[in-house]
Amino acid sequence: MKNSKDKQISLHDAVAKYLPSGSSYAFGGLGGRDPFAIAFEIIRQGIKDLTVITTSSMDISNIMIGAGCIRKVEGAYIWIGSVGSGLNYRRAVEKGIPVKLELEEYSNYASSLRFLAGSMNIPFMATRSMIGSDIPKYNDKIKIIDDPYTGSPVALVPAANPDAAFIHVQKADLTGNGQIWGILMNDLVIARAARKLVVTCEEIVSTREIRKLPNLTAIPSYCVDAVVEVPFCSHPMWTAGYYWCDLPFRRNFMLHNKTQESFEQWIKEWVIDTGSWQGYLDKLGQDRLNKLVQMEHDNYKIPQIL
Amino acid sequence: MLAEKYTTKELMAVCCAHEIKNGEVVFMGIGLPMMGGVVASRTHAKNAVLVYEGGGVGAISRRVPWSIGDNPTAENALMVHEMWRLFSDGQAGYINRGVIGGAQIDKFGNINTTVIMGGKSYETPAVRLSGSGGANDIASSCGETTIVMQMDRGFREKIDFITSPGHLNGPGARKKAGLVGNGPTAVITQKCVLRFDELTKEMYLYELFPGETVDGVKSLVEWDLKVTPDIKVVTTPTIEEINIIHTLDPKGFMLGAKSEGEEDFEKFFQLMKQAYEAVEIDLG
Repeated sequence: MKNSKDKQISLHDAVAKYLPSGSSYAFGGLGGRDPFAIAFEIIRQGIKDLTVITTSSMDISNIMIGAGCIRKVEGAYIWIGSVGSGLNYRRAVEKGIPVKLELEEYSNYASSLRFLAGSMNIPFMATRSMIGSDIPKYNDKIKIIDDPYTGSPVALVPAANPDAAFIHVQKADLTGNGQIWGILMNDLVIARAARKLVVTCEEIVSTREIRKLPNLTAIPSYCVDAVVEVPFCSHPMWTAGYYWCDLPFRRNFMLHNKTQESFEQWIKEWVIDTGSWQGYLDKLGQDRLNKLVQMEHDNYKIPQIL
Repeated sequence: MLAEKYTTKELMAVCCAHEIKNGEVVFMGIGLPMMGGVVASRTHAKNAVLVYEGGGVGAISRRVPWSIGDNPTAENALMVHEMWRLFSDGQAGYINRGVIGGAQIDKFGNINTTVIMGGKSYETPAVRLSGSGGANDIASSCGETTIVMQMDRGFREKIDFITSPGHLNGPGARKKAGLVGNGPTAVITQKCVLRFDELTKEMYLYELFPGETVDGVKSLVEWDLKVTPDIKVVTTPTIEEINIIHTLDPKGFMLGAKSEGEEDFEKFFQLMKQAYEAVEIDLG
């Protein structure tokens, strides 16, 4: 039973304990609340042969692919949104650098339904997406069948139950009740579908604080195996209400994305040589972090309930 | 009043905006479509409800989102869903329009954003693209689809991969396949606006951008593109529409201004701070 009173562990242990090489995993968030601190720790610990199960993913997956952590992608989209291109992803698929990627492609909705099915402990889910397209031609996990009740065609997709999920939230208590403000992605269902769940948070708060706004609680403690307090966990992306997106930093990463050599220099400078998440934040500097916090507080403030 | 100066990308965004009708629920894809949606929601379609894949519904944002889960997709939103629930709303018929991009397209509006094979295979293609994301779902289930894409080498007799369904192989094909939505009704490019014939479901040239010619457009299309007999030039942007674009996208990201050099943090920070402060919003 996941009912212990204090599930706090270190960032190092959260990765070492729950994500051995060869595992499948899912991350929460997208373009906000992405768990970069976890991704960088995975790279530092040299964990390989991972299968990422996702809908869409941007910088965080491109970085892990370029670092050689990922062998298989089950998902719908790997790119960098409107601000850049997924060059690490392209190199891995087109040229096998640094690792040849195996792909199991779905649409975003189908990928989402895989987590929903996983969260419900049922083997598959049906959708009217993807039929007529070429996506099922290249993914034999997608079964187009005639619905046994009406005879109309539907696509079936298998449940996804990642070995581990890492979801970053604004606030959690020590038992892992996690509260999210802003975009949700599929984080409620991912939390329930994962075999092991690590909740990272900007700040640990009292259970009394959680009870003030129970509607904000996206993840109940009974799903949670471990809790890690990691300020600025999503840098260079946002955590809504806490800090703004560091787009110049992302630009710098994207410039280094152009060749594997320059990307490896970037990884060495920002992930390996910084030694830890705290080392990374120190290198960014308090002044820069303060400005990101200020920008967020001026523009996207979580309403307070007294 | 019509603007005297505007870029082709800005004209594309405005043409996209003009497709969106007041009161519609509109699923906004990434990139230029988002700009079109935001312009529409501040001009002729103030009651349109913009929805984003990350779960934001009805946001009124002061900056154009940079991704489907960017903070502005939930800014002043009416609600926030999970992604699976939002797409379920699309599949259930609640979303009137979807706006998506593409790399390759055929005459029935089927779109490829997965791979350019280039004589190689799906597993090891010449060019790997982003993949569907939510585009397949939007194209499958929204009431109608508006497509925004560059017209260069992508208008093909046969595309390498159908990522998002248009009218498949012609009239009746979507219904037979079991798709919910009615498929694409317009394609907006940097040279023209194309629409689809009601009976044949085939794409035809509908309006030209200023300075473009029918022959110029036809030379970029692999199949024998049909042309409407009374071809006109598109309505160009108003000053108001261009001002909205400049205010909400101060860095020009949506319109393709990708920075090549290092970005100075302090300068960027000040620019964005001023941009936020310059935007006035009406929360009703």
